[in-house]
Amino acid sequence: MRREISEIKQLFDNISEYFWRHKEYVNRLNVFPVPDGDTGLNIALTIQGALSNIPGNLPDTILAGEYLKLISDNMLLNSRGCSGVILSLFFEGITEVLENNDFSRENILRAIEKGCITAYKGTDNPREGTMLTLMSELKKKYSEIMTTKENPLEIIIDCIPHLREVLDKTPDMLPILKQSGVVDSGGAGFLIILEGLEREFNSRKIPETLPLFAALRINSVVKNLLVKRFSHKKRSDTGTLVQNLGAGNITNARLHKIIHNVQQYLKNRTHSHNNRYRAREALIKDTKEFESSWNPDIRYRYCTELTVSSDKDIDSQALKKQIINYGDSLIISGRGNTFKIHIHTNKPDSVIKDISLFGNIISRKVDDMKKQHRNFISFDSIEYENEQSVFCIVSGEGFKKILQNLGADYVYDYGKRKPSVKKLVDLLNSLKSKNVIAAPDDRDILMTLKYAASLCKANVFIVESKDAISLISLLMGKTNKINNTNFLSRDRINNIKHFMISKAAKESSIDDIPIKKGDFFVICDNKIILTGRELKDVATKAINKLLNDESIITVYNGLHVKGNKLAAGLKNKFPGLEFEEYYGGQTQYLYYLTLE
Amino acid sequence: MNMRILIISADNLGISIEQVPYQHFEYLKYPVLVGEKEYRETETFTASWLLERFIKEKITAKSSSLSRAEMTDLIEKNINNYDLIIHIVMGSNMSAATFNIAEEVREKYKGKVNIINVDTRQVVGGVGVILLRLIDIIKENEKEEEIRNRARELVVNTFSYYVTPDLNYLYRGGRIGKAKAFLGSVLRVLPVVGLMGDDPEGEVVPIGQERTYKQANSLIINSIMEKMNEQKADKITVSIISGDESNSEAINGLRQEFVSSVPVEKLVTGKLHLVEAIYMGPGGYGITVCMK
Repeated sequence: MRREISEIKQLFDNISEYFWRHKEYVNRLNVFPVPDGDTGLNIALTIQGALSNIPGNLPDTILAGEYLKLISDNMLLNSRGCSGVILSLFFEGITEVLENNDFSRENILRAIEKGCITAYKGTDNPREGTMLTLMSELKKKYSEIMTTKENPLEIIIDCIPHLREVLDKTPDMLPILKQSGVVDSGGAGFLIILEGLEREFNSRKIPETLPLFAALRINSVVKNLLVKRFSHKKRSDTGTLVQNLGAGNITNARLHKIIHNVQQYLKNRTHSHNNRYRAREALIKDTKEFESSWNPDIRYRYCTELTVSSDKDIDSQALKKQIINYGDSLIISGRGNTFKIHIHTNKPDSVIKDISLFGNIISRKVDDMKKQHRNFISFDSIEYENEQSVFCIVSGEGFKKILQNLGADYVYDYGKRKPSVKKLVDLLNSLKSKNVIAAPDDRDILMTLKYAASLCKANVFIVESKDAISLISLLMGKTNKINNTNFLSRDRINNIKHFMISKAAKESSIDDIPIKKGDFFVICDNKIILTGRELKDVATKAINKLLNDESIITVYNGLHVKGNKLAAGLKNKFPGLEFEEYYGGQTQYLYYLTLE
Repeated sequence: MNMRILIISADNLGISIEQVPYQHFEYLKYPVLVGEKEYRETETFTASWLLERFIKEKITAKSSSLSRAEMTDLIEKNINNYDLIIHIVMGSNMSAATFNIAEEVREKYKGKVNIINVDTRQVVGGVGVILLRLIDIIKENEKEEEIRNRARELVVNTFSYYVTPDLNYLYRGGRIGKAKAFLGSVLRVLPVVGLMGDDPEGEVVPIGQERTYKQANSLIINSIMEKMNEQKADKITVSIISGDESNSEAINGLRQEFVSSVPVEKLVTGKLHLVEAIYMGPGGYGITVCMK
């Protein structure tokens, strides 16, 4: 690789690393368009995704402009969330101009101008006070000071102090930011990227932020204090506590102001009753506004992102027309036959269906923003570490090992006692994953799992699997594509033909089949299909009944099987078939038998 | 005047040397180390010989990079007879050492003869398919820049799939890559792994795992069809290779199913070489498709 390209690569890698370290700061500012606390993560993944998809063995002939275009194309395909997509649009515009390999300060200005146009044009309802404003201000400031220096990178760095001022003013442009006491998260993210560039020259510390739950808790304490005083309730120690609170430590601008005003109010006892009444009323209003700014009514619940590709050019206007009424925050980026779509909607399935009319959907992601918002504001909020995990709930130590080896991220062996909602919530949270595919080995667990899914911090996709074999089938289909959310779990769970053998503990009759105590019976597709006194005979009849062109029979022994060599016995009856035997350790059935 | 072009490669093509339809072709042999002793492929020391020793004697084997001296000798021998030398090299992510040696040799002869090193991102089978397609291109076009561009296209449009009953051979050879996830299964599974030309990391990746050869073959065919759809390819060049007879039924099944469901332009039945057997192990087989 040429030196010039290596240097660009190193620069981007460093910026990506720098951003990754500060993503949590950006997450904590995320209130617009939805406070779901993932702007930092989305920008970080957008940059990282773009860089990790650049081929390692580029031809020697590649020029800087082409290389930047390559990053831009990958950024577009890997962009996530509103800010990630807007950032990739901005970079797309820049690289379109720089493709001519002219890195003069004049051409860089043209590139930034084009970046702004592309970003504004690609955003359905561009709002000031967001990342777009910072992009536009960068263009203005760069143009203003361009003649001061030759090196365009230094000119960009010189724009940073102005952009910091603009970022601080974003609450004046977007009321929700002021109410919430924060600056725009996307704008802050954009500035951090530029600061990553600046860091190549010198360094600056990103400020610490107060966790959101702590800010909301302080606000709530203050509100309660004021309301209690308002209703002439007994004085508490809280007033003294609030008076002595170091407001300087509160980094949230709105909360800082509220605390300052409340302290003034508590200190000042000389005003008339009417004035104090009005002041207290205004302060209560402030605390309520602050609270509600972080708890808006999320009109469209699912952040849906797709990439669609066709063998012919896609009409982006027709595509926009097709889906624009499904929600808001629509961004369509791309060109030719491949487009990336971002939309907030309550009907992700309909959006996916409609977009598939324009071509093949090659990647998709649906995030439940209500779920993320709940996590974001909770005192025990989780910092997601994984995009997606597979979680299996199974009875039997043997099956636990088998499923772990097949690639499940976590397997819970519940033994004889089915898990409680609390247990499942704890396990789901411990995965620290934004999305979890959860699959139990028993339909009786589904209700508990559904309830746990509603309480935990992750978006949970429940696979309605019915037994341990369905889980094996599910994981046999797990490939490296899982992160592209192409994991069509439901289609995979019934791929292995199988039956179960159990022993009757009492006399009964099911589906008109009489069963005596001590009889063995075979269950297939939730129905009893055979009974008999001898285990081997029952198993033989079941295999004969179900066998088609399969070549391997696998026997999974349950916890209560003792020294019984069923597989060896069956091998004599079916010499043409291959038999394998494993320990499943399940408690529900004596044996699982699969035919493959 | 026609440009005189020499193609060089090595014996990890996945096809026999006789199957290379180009007169000006030379190749080097990879050193194979069994214990302390070094072997090169001969009529005696073949893939079958090594696979048999794996089963009977439980030996371990490894390969080393191509020799710089041998590569230099080969160039030296041909330098005056050709205007351009194209070196089809195994993927640099599979053997950085071999590719670096090829690059050093190219640098050494800069100004004396033009050398194009094609980093195939492939190994077993894949190198051979890229070689076959490049020969077709050279026959149509002799412009160096055009050949260079077309070679790059071939690399990103070539995909290899391997069914390796025992992944430990790949693991011991240090080529397991992301397919490591398939190691150590309690259940006996048939891992299907791949080398995807459009994967910039160029590592061995897990494609899926199945219990029977029939299932493994279906998985491969579905994956190829999906790739064809993605790449908008309508006809493809295919090479199927295997090392021993133990899985001939599975390979025949794959060939039949393939021919009946995929529009194939050229189908080659390849041959496993000594060095390739190290990584495939007994019972392994592979298929490479080039969609350009």
